[in-house]
Amino acid sequence: MSAHTGSTNYVAVWAWLLVLMAAGFAASFLPGTRGVAVAAIFAVAVVKALLVAAYFMHLRVEPRVIYAIALVPVAIVLVLILALLPDFAAHH
Amino acid sequence: MTVATVKQESFHGLTPGKVGIWWFLASEIMIFGGLLASFVAFRLGRPEWGEAAEHLNLAIAMTNTVILLTSSLTVALAIAALERGDQAGMRRHLGLTILLGLAFLGMKGVEYTGEIRAGYVPWSGTFWSYYYTMTGLHGLHVLGGIVANALLWATTGWRARSPHRLELAGLYWHFVDVVWIFLFPLLYLA
Repeated sequence: MSAHTGSTNYVAVWAWLLVLMAAGFAASFLPGTRGVAVAAIFAVAVVKALLVAAYFMHLRVEPRVIYAIALVPVAIVLVLILALLPDFAAHH
Repeated sequence: MTVATVKQESFHGLTPGKVGIWWFLASEIMIFGGLLASFVAFRLGRPEWGEAAEHLNLAIAMTNTVILLTSSLTVALAIAALERGDQAGMRRHLGLTILLGLAFLGMKGVEYTGEIRAGYVPWSGTFWSYYYTMTGLHGLHVLGGIVANALLWATTGWRARSPHRLELAGLYWHFVDVVWIFLFPLLYLA
């Protein structure tokens, strides 16, 4: 929403995105179980995506109907991933 | 020349254009989501894909991540400039966004060339099929965003006078960035 975007410090958001990119890269070198490193890598990716959506795409200040349009397909994709997991578990 | 103006009906700051672009982005989430979901299911059962991924160029991918994140910043600054009525600032930042998009595609081209020369082509295996499909589809989206941004840049005089059009193009550009935010760890880090 145009009226609310003037106050956002875009450069600070961008700096955080770069810090998180470095954190994601560092996480790929985490010792121990590979699963922990992978979980950390994707947790960082989710935070980065949320920062872009909330601040650059202004979701932070959009009406709820925009959330509904954006979140329904995200939920469907998550269901799709979860629906495919039993197939993986059955074969491995 | 007379210019017909159509008043945008607005409901709580929501214009038809904004609802339309978000609806379009929702369909895009499904396109990339389907690819991502099937890739994750395959990847979990194939640890050997990790070895294939080691042949990718991580340095180029990291550079491209920085390029795309920075282009999201410049398009946001372009919109902010236009909202202040600063046409020159808008043109400068939008021009920079276009150049960064082209730099991303150029780097991707260099990376593809290296991989193809090393013998890794789309039919080298399922991992490589996924790699070229996902990054290729994303690259086409980057190209589409560059064309949309370039049209706005070239017609600044009248078409981009309202921040609305630029905001819609910006939303699409940020979405392309978000897709890369997931493709990068999925292909290069995990």
